[in-house]
Amino acid sequence: MRRHWFYILLSLAERDRHGSGIMRDVLELTDGGLKLWPVTLYGTLDELHEQGLIRALEEPPVGAEDDSARKRWYRITAAGRRTLAAEVARLQDTVQVAQRRLASGGAS
Amino acid sequence: MSLTFRLFRIAMRALPAELRARHGDEMEALFREELARARDAGPFAIARVATASYFDLMRRAPYERWRRRGRPALQPRGHRMPSFVADLRFAIRSSLRTPGSTALVVATLALAVAANTAVFALVDAIFFRPLPYPDASRLVDLNEQAPKWNLEFVGVSYYDFDQWRTNTHVFDGMAVWDGLAENVSDGTTATRVDGQIVSADMARVLGITPVLGRAFTRDEHMLNSPRVVMLGYGTWQTRFGGSRDVVGKTLRLNSRPYTIVGVLPENVTLTEKTGFWLPLQLDPEKERGNYSYEGIARLKPGVTIEEARQDLLRAQAPIWRRYDSTHAVSPRIMPLRDRFVADYRTVGAALGAGVVLVLIIAAADIAGAMLARSIFRRREMGIRVALGASGWRVTRQLLTEALVLSAMAGIVGTLAGRAALGLMTSGIADIPPWLHLGIDVRAVVFAILIVVVTALLFGLAPALQFRRQDLTGSLVGGARSAGSLPERRLLNGLVVVEIALAAVLLASGGLLVRAYANLRDVDPGFRPEGVASFRLSLPSAKYTDGRANRRFYETLIDRISALPGVTHAGVVTCAPFSCHWGSFFEAEGAAKASTGEEDPVVLTRIASADYFATMGITLLRGRFFGPNEGTPKGPRPAVINDLLAKRLWPNVADPVGKRFTFRGDTVAGDWMTVVGIVKDVRHYGLVRPMRPGIYMSLTSIDSAHSFDRFAVVAKTRGDAAALFPALRAVVHELDPELPLFDVKTMQAALDESMASRRAIALWLTAFAAIALTLAIGGIYAVLSYVVGRRRHEIGIRMALGAQRAEVLRLVVRQGMRLVTIGLVLGIPAAYGASRALSSLLVGVGGGDPLTYVLVIVVLSITSLIAALIPARRAAGVEPKIALGEAS
Repeated sequence: MRRHWFYILLSLAERDRHGSGIMRDVLELTDGGLKLWPVTLYGTLDELHEQGLIRALEEPPVGAEDDSARKRWYRITAAGRRTLAAEVARLQDTVQVAQRRLASGGAS
Repeated sequence: MSLTFRLFRIAMRALPAELRARHGDEMEALFREELARARDAGPFAIARVATASYFDLMRRAPYERWRRRGRPALQPRGHRMPSFVADLRFAIRSSLRTPGSTALVVATLALAVAANTAVFALVDAIFFRPLPYPDASRLVDLNEQAPKWNLEFVGVSYYDFDQWRTNTHVFDGMAVWDGLAENVSDGTTATRVDGQIVSADMARVLGITPVLGRAFTRDEHMLNSPRVVMLGYGTWQTRFGGSRDVVGKTLRLNSRPYTIVGVLPENVTLTEKTGFWLPLQLDPEKERGNYSYEGIARLKPGVTIEEARQDLLRAQAPIWRRYDSTHAVSPRIMPLRDRFVADYRTVGAALGAGVVLVLIIAAADIAGAMLARSIFRRREMGIRVALGASGWRVTRQLLTEALVLSAMAGIVGTLAGRAALGLMTSGIADIPPWLHLGIDVRAVVFAILIVVVTALLFGLAPALQFRRQDLTGSLVGGARSAGSLPERRLLNGLVVVEIALAAVLLASGGLLVRAYANLRDVDPGFRPEGVASFRLSLPSAKYTDGRANRRFYETLIDRISALPGVTHAGVVTCAPFSCHWGSFFEAEGAAKASTGEEDPVVLTRIASADYFATMGITLLRGRFFGPNEGTPKGPRPAVINDLLAKRLWPNVADPVGKRFTFRGDTVAGDWMTVVGIVKDVRHYGLVRPMRPGIYMSLTSIDSAHSFDRFAVVAKTRGDAAALFPALRAVVHELDPELPLFDVKTMQAALDESMASRRAIALWLTAFAAIALTLAIGGIYAVLSYVVGRRRHEIGIRMALGAQRAEVLRLVVRQGMRLVTIGLVLGIPAAYGASRALSSLLVGVGGGDPLTYVLVIVVLSITSLIAALIPARRAAGVEPKIALGEAS
């Protein structure tokens, strides 16, 4: 899975967010490593939506402040969660394999 | 609104409209938000945000477009969608969707490519492929000519050659040679092997090195030197199994042993197969006036033919001064290729021109088909452009489709061309062995070139016209409008060109067929039906004198005559279409001919009495000589042909009984008496004029040499070919070491003499048939297209009361107008082409009205039929349905 797909899904897995919320969350998650600029962000959201991994909410959630209430909010779908879980499991496996090899194989 | 923001907005147009509609506002809002945040951090941060956002947009935009259409573009990560492969896949898919029209286009092109490949191989071999010798461009043919004797090539006299050899300066070497055939025997059976007898330096002039041993030394060309032979490569392989220690061994030729000194490389053939070389051993002084050799020479580098000719004429001058004050015989020089190719030049050029016309017609046909198709596909193209495909992308797609079709055609065509070449050359009997015919890499490259050029040609036509078209019109109008004026003009122009070229090919093919038919009607002067013939050569080692010869052939004739079914049998030195032996004669009491006068050489034959009956030769006056009439001591009866009678006694009505003799020979006892006059026999083939000719009685000849090679002819009531086993048995019984050669029926010999004419008539007719088919197909395709496009209009016309017959006429008239224009252009062009073919059109004028009328009739009728099919379809249009389609 592409890196920005992964972090967008991860961000939405915690809670529903609007576009700039996702952007900031991803920036935080990656410790400033991945900044989603507007076109990539919304292009990817469009793509994820097309794939059925996220959907746009009809209206902002209750309790949203005036500024963010005017924005469109996104929510991860069940398929999105499954896809994310599968990717996390795959990464886990990858990491485990790598760790085992590095532990037994020494420094070389 | 800041400038930075405005620029971003403009740049956003790079994104697909769809994405902009859904998320444009959000993108703008986020960008604005980021800018506002950055403003607090100073101008440097603003610049960073702006740059990063622009960059992000530009990088992502192609991907977004590609994602929506599956159209090739840059992916964000820099992967390039393999667009050619995509185009290719699409092209193959779309060709397979319309298998009928695809097959038609491929077959049309394949036909053209096949014809081209085959003819290219032929033209290449005749005109371009270097002869199989090093520096072949410096090789020239030497010969002598005697216009006064009506001889283009008299052959080279060894005496003249010897003078040239010593007194010229621009040659790197020269040699003479003659073809001869020898009986090679191993005791029980004998075969006849063709070889050459060559003067010194032959190998050096040709630039060939023996694969084994050495070439002849100068001494071996001296009179009475030991018998030596060089083996031909083929003889070495078949008789000696290619053994390396063959040098020094013995080969028996005509019952005499020859020591092998060397082996020739492959492909040294000049006009005959090279089974062996013998050294020419002659005394020049005794050879004066004996013109019987072929000459070949190598020019020094940089010397032109003209310089060489001047050099030869200088060397000839002393000979003229001393022996030939009227310059009756003069040297003749030409590039080696011209000498051998002369007969094939017109044929090759005609075939080449014919095939080019076929290709042009095929290309026009396909261009028309593609054009019509692309107009139907206008809507598809319009949608693609609307979705963002560039004009170049569409052009490329069309080109790829064209290439796919051409590639299929190229493969099919090249294979078919190889088969066609075999068919084509099987029709031509006398292909010189050096003429290398075969599909090689260059022919394949040529075919591929044709394919690529054609692809560009007809691939671009639709692309260009598409680029011009109005996008909105194509989306709204769809496949309904009648096509723009330039389009229709282009389509009509293609049809006119096709018809015109087809007319040229049809007329040329027709004229050649007529010429060939006329040729078949020419009276050969003898009756070939039921006549079998073969040749024999009596080796002088065994048949030492005239008496031995005579014993042999008299027994032979008796035994053959006794065979069941045989009615007559005879022998002659030269049967029709075979050899030539020329002499000069003068009538008794005739005044010395003035020196400038024309003096054609006389074809001289020696025949047995029954030869005339066997061959069915027509007697005009007098009688044939009888079986034992004539002795070496006289009297010497002779039968002459009409031409010689007129030549020797121009003012005598009936020359029977007149006396004549060999020129320069005035011994009274050598007079010959005319006993009969016969109709001319077309000895040199039906297209060549006959020379004066004479038959001398066999019994009046006593020299063994005059009658050691001869043709035997036998007339049977049944099938001539069925007689050969019996004939072989008779000869074998008389002499098992004697091989029969040139075994064929007279009918076959006659057919062979016309074979190349037949082949070219056949081939141009085939081209004409292809051209006709393609042109008719072109008319059909274009009219179908027009009818398809005008359904709506026709529907309106019919709704307004037009009759079906009127609609039919409308369409047919449109088609026939194109045919008429095509014919108006094509017929004069065909007349022009016939001028170029005139040397092949014996007996038919280039303006032969019958042929042209036939061409016009054939083209008109077939075009009419082709036009009627779409016209009937148009007349069948139901107004309601046609108009319903419009709404």
